Amino acid sequence: MSFLTRTEGAHAAAPGRRPAAGRLSVAAAVAFMTLAACYMLLPVYWLLVSATKSQSDLVSTPGLLPAEWHLGDNLTALFEQQDGVFGRWLLNSLLYAGVGAAIATFLAAAAGYALAKYTFTGREALFSVILGGVLVPATALALPLFLLFAEVDATNTFWSVFLPSVVSPFGVYLSRIFAAASVPDEVVEAARMDGAGELRIFCGIALRMMSPALVTVFLFQFVVIWNNFLLPLVMLQDDTLYPVTLGLFTWQSQTSRLPELQTLTIVGALVSVVPIVLTFLMLQRYWRAGLTAGAVKS
Amino acid sequence: MAMRAHTSPMARRCMIGAAVVALTAATGCGGGDSGDDAAADASCKPSSGKVTLQYWSWVPGMQEAVDLWNGQNPDVQVKLKTTPAGNAGTYQNMSNALKADKAPDLGQIEYDSLASFRLKGGLRDIAQCPGVSEAQEKFVDWTRSQVDFGAGGEDGIWAVPQDTGPMAMFYRKDVFDKLGIEAPTTWEEYAAAAREVKQDGKYITHFSQTDPNWFTGLLWQNQATMFERDGDAWKVTVDRPESRQVADYWQKLIDDELVATDLQGFSPALYKAWNSGEVVTWVSAAWGYSTIRDNAKSTEGKWAVAPMPQWDAGDQRAGNWGGSTTAVLSGTEHPAEAAEFALWLNTDPEALEILNREGGLYPAAKAGLDLPALKQPVDFYGKQKIFDVFAQASADVDTDFTWGPTMTDTYRFLSDGTAGAVGGEGTLGDVLKQTQSQSVDSLRKQSLDVAD
Amino acid sequence: MTSTAAPPSTRRRRPRRALAPYAFLAPFLIPFVLFTLVPVGYAFWQSLHKTERVGGTFGSTRPVFAGFEQYADVVREPFFADSVIRVGLFALVQIPVMLLFALALALLLDSAVARLKRFFRLVYFVPYGIPGVVAALMWAFLYDPRLSPVVDLFRSAGVQVDLLGSDAILFSIGNVVTWTYTGYNMLILYAALQAVPSDIGEAARVDGAGNWTIALRIKLPLIRPALVLTGVFSIIGTFQLFTEPQVFRSISTSVTSTYTPNLAAYSLASGDNYSEAAALSVLLAAVTFLLSFAFLHFTSRRQG
Repeated sequence: MSFLTRTEGAHAAAPGRRPAAGRLSVAAAVAFMTLAACYMLLPVYWLLVSATKSQSDLVSTPGLLPAEWHLGDNLTALFEQQDGVFGRWLLNSLLYAGVGAAIATFLAAAAGYALAKYTFTGREALFSVILGGVLVPATALALPLFLLFAEVDATNTFWSVFLPSVVSPFGVYLSRIFAAASVPDEVVEAARMDGAGELRIFCGIALRMMSPALVTVFLFQFVVIWNNFLLPLVMLQDDTLYPVTLGLFTWQSQTSRLPELQTLTIVGALVSVVPIVLTFLMLQRYWRAGLTAGAVKS
Repeated sequence: MAMRAHTSPMARRCMIGAAVVALTAATGCGGGDSGDDAAADASCKPSSGKVTLQYWSWVPGMQEAVDLWNGQNPDVQVKLKTTPAGNAGTYQNMSNALKADKAPDLGQIEYDSLASFRLKGGLRDIAQCPGVSEAQEKFVDWTRSQVDFGAGGEDGIWAVPQDTGPMAMFYRKDVFDKLGIEAPTTWEEYAAAAREVKQDGKYITHFSQTDPNWFTGLLWQNQATMFERDGDAWKVTVDRPESRQVADYWQKLIDDELVATDLQGFSPALYKAWNSGEVVTWVSAAWGYSTIRDNAKSTEGKWAVAPMPQWDAGDQRAGNWGGSTTAVLSGTEHPAEAAEFALWLNTDPEALEILNREGGLYPAAKAGLDLPALKQPVDFYGKQKIFDVFAQASADVDTDFTWGPTMTDTYRFLSDGTAGAVGGEGTLGDVLKQTQSQSVDSLRKQSLDVAD
Repeated sequence: MTSTAAPPSTRRRRPRRALAPYAFLAPFLIPFVLFTLVPVGYAFWQSLHKTERVGGTFGSTRPVFAGFEQYADVVREPFFADSVIRVGLFALVQIPVMLLFALALALLLDSAVARLKRFFRLVYFVPYGIPGVVAALMWAFLYDPRLSPVVDLFRSAGVQVDLLGSDAILFSIGNVVTWTYTGYNMLILYAALQAVPSDIGEAARVDGAGNWTIALRIKLPLIRPALVLTGVFSIIGTFQLFTEPQVFRSISTSVTSTYTPNLAAYSLASGDNYSEAAALSVLLAAVTFLLSFAFLHFTSRRQG
């Protein structure tokens, strides 16, 4: 039970008061969180186990129990299939999602900052229009976007998938709230008194104050782009441009004729989750308590 | 700081610029829709100089065949894009690309989608291209009527047949032997076998709502064509005595709980049921041999293949499930070269061998049926020469079956309806009736004339 | 909606500062106009047209203006009302469950130990990072009556369940949605909780308030805007429900191609009926807008 004692010890805020009840509620809390974690991880566990199986074991052995260990073989096969196209897909996804989300975050931060810290004609109307952008289903946007890019002869290019993903109306919404809350007006005014220009105030002061919130915006947009599959499906024909989700989908759609692709899809899915987890871990340290001072307060 | 001074006016200019671009784009892409009269210029002259052709396909291993061609034809280079399967998005992409004038020169199109692409003005008539009409007799009879729309060449030739899916019956010979049943030769015997198998705690087969094109394969066997052309109009014949016969038959099996309705096609659950011996037959296409082989490894040596059960004893009719063509798309500037490649790809023995070995294709070319690989006994099927059965089936496929131009919708209606029927809402007969009227609506929505 | 008044202008504003917000907005607005508004405009244009065919069976087509004919067609389709009501019911049940779950996790995480916190935070977020295609495979396995250890578990307890049957399917889909998005919503709420100054909690604790009281009486009201935000985005997400039912179509007999409005729009478009698909998308956006607006209105009025 050292687990629980340690937990209690960390609760410095409640020194010794109602120790029994406190320990009980901590235990209940940890139990609940553990249960929730099991719920979240059960399907992932299936993925993990399945990734270690050969194609024939995949259907003939119980899904949650490991069978003969084939992870190594599967990984080798994965990276050798079609001359190693999977590695290419991973790289593409990192570019689309990594660079795309970084730019999207920056644009959203600037727009959110402007909406929060300036008064100007049409501000609320503009904000409503931007929010309205969230209401449009991606299925309805894909075809018009394709025709638009076809007009300028840019379908089946890196840009046709990259450019539309730098738009994040949701990011603007979050940034506005975070900018309003975490960038005090006094700081902005003081900087102005010191003669700093608007751009410098934004880049030098506001961005830094908003940074924990922007990490959230980045992470969300990263995952949205990473998992986006409809737009690349419509835009791209060249499989060396595919992001990893579309590549896996292509394989999955061929499994009825080529069953060994099923294993590759599963192992590929497992591998494709790794960058998301790494990104999350890397960003995690920006979320330290207190940094988000005043965020999302009414 | 100098930058800041410029930011605002520049941004303003950008915004104005963006608005202008946006407006022009909005009006621009409103203009041209599909359907430039593709048939207007049917003449097909070879181009001079070096030619590069774009080709979309989802056949595994296609690149190997394309490499072979590129090595032999330095002046006509083919660039292959490997796409998801047709209905998994590629058809929609092809339609979009046609709309935007960005379509490839060649594309893989399944037989049931040819009419819809011709309707969109997406196909190029290659009848006048060198070698095309002469090559027609190299293909299995029924595939020819698919690519010339049953007009024997009077109405153009719109694609080159690639592979087919003649149907036969895969069955667990060991189970049948144990129960002392012969492989059923008629559907009546099949139903009888189903009852015996059920007593043994097994299902004769699965009945899935996710494979509407499997069901149309059964309709095809019974000559229940779903669409007919009547001059300038289409006639929907989904609900007709022949299709009712098929539907009522399977409805009876469903009602008597002789078929597994909770197993979907190509699902892990189905594979498990094959492995465990719970499901003992699959009436399927030639390409299905690898589906069983690779997903039911534990049953090696226990399966055999027999011709499809018949509606009338002594008949020899087979359905077809799946199969594709290589179509020359309407935007191409090099129809002659594109047609030449398509012909080579689907008739050259070396190419056929690659596509069969790597992609598991069952060839549409008659010569392909004699590939060494298709003459061998197959270990998994107890050393039976299973492809002899399919070669026969291929010759037994009705040549009059016509697909409609809105098959995506029709399949969807069939699939939705079947799901309902299997779930206890109505019967498969009702499904035919609904699909009939819904398909008529679908055609009307494409502003096509529908004859009654 | 949450908004903060701009700084009161104490001096006469310099023209450069008046232009500043536009300069900050432009980099976002340009791609936004190009890649969101223009396509929306195109979809709307398309929804007002229909296809006309000239030159017989295989003749060519051209779009002709049809006004709101497509809209009338969509509304008359039996699936329209069915699917909208279906997602409406779905939203009524699933959203509160998911948000309560997310809120509980966020509150617990906010008060838990640092080391475990990191682990749980990651675990809860992982489902959101798994591509839909793959999530589909996993859940198909866990729901399948023949493969699922979960169903086996029920069975060994003597309970017969059909997770894919018509009675349970909406809950099964709800479960997948909850699984995917709980962590996502939790992160938003958690970020808001992190922003609550710790001294507020301390003060209450000194006054003798328990953990529950602090969570419900003090923290909850403070993160109300974040809750409203997750609520609105959940409503929008629910009405755009697509991937999950699309996947379930292939494993359950209870999900049709018109199960949700967005799935219906996709089905229409893949049958080349772009105009009706566009009309349906526009209608869907309008319905979502009205509901989100009503929700915001309702929550802000209660806030007083």
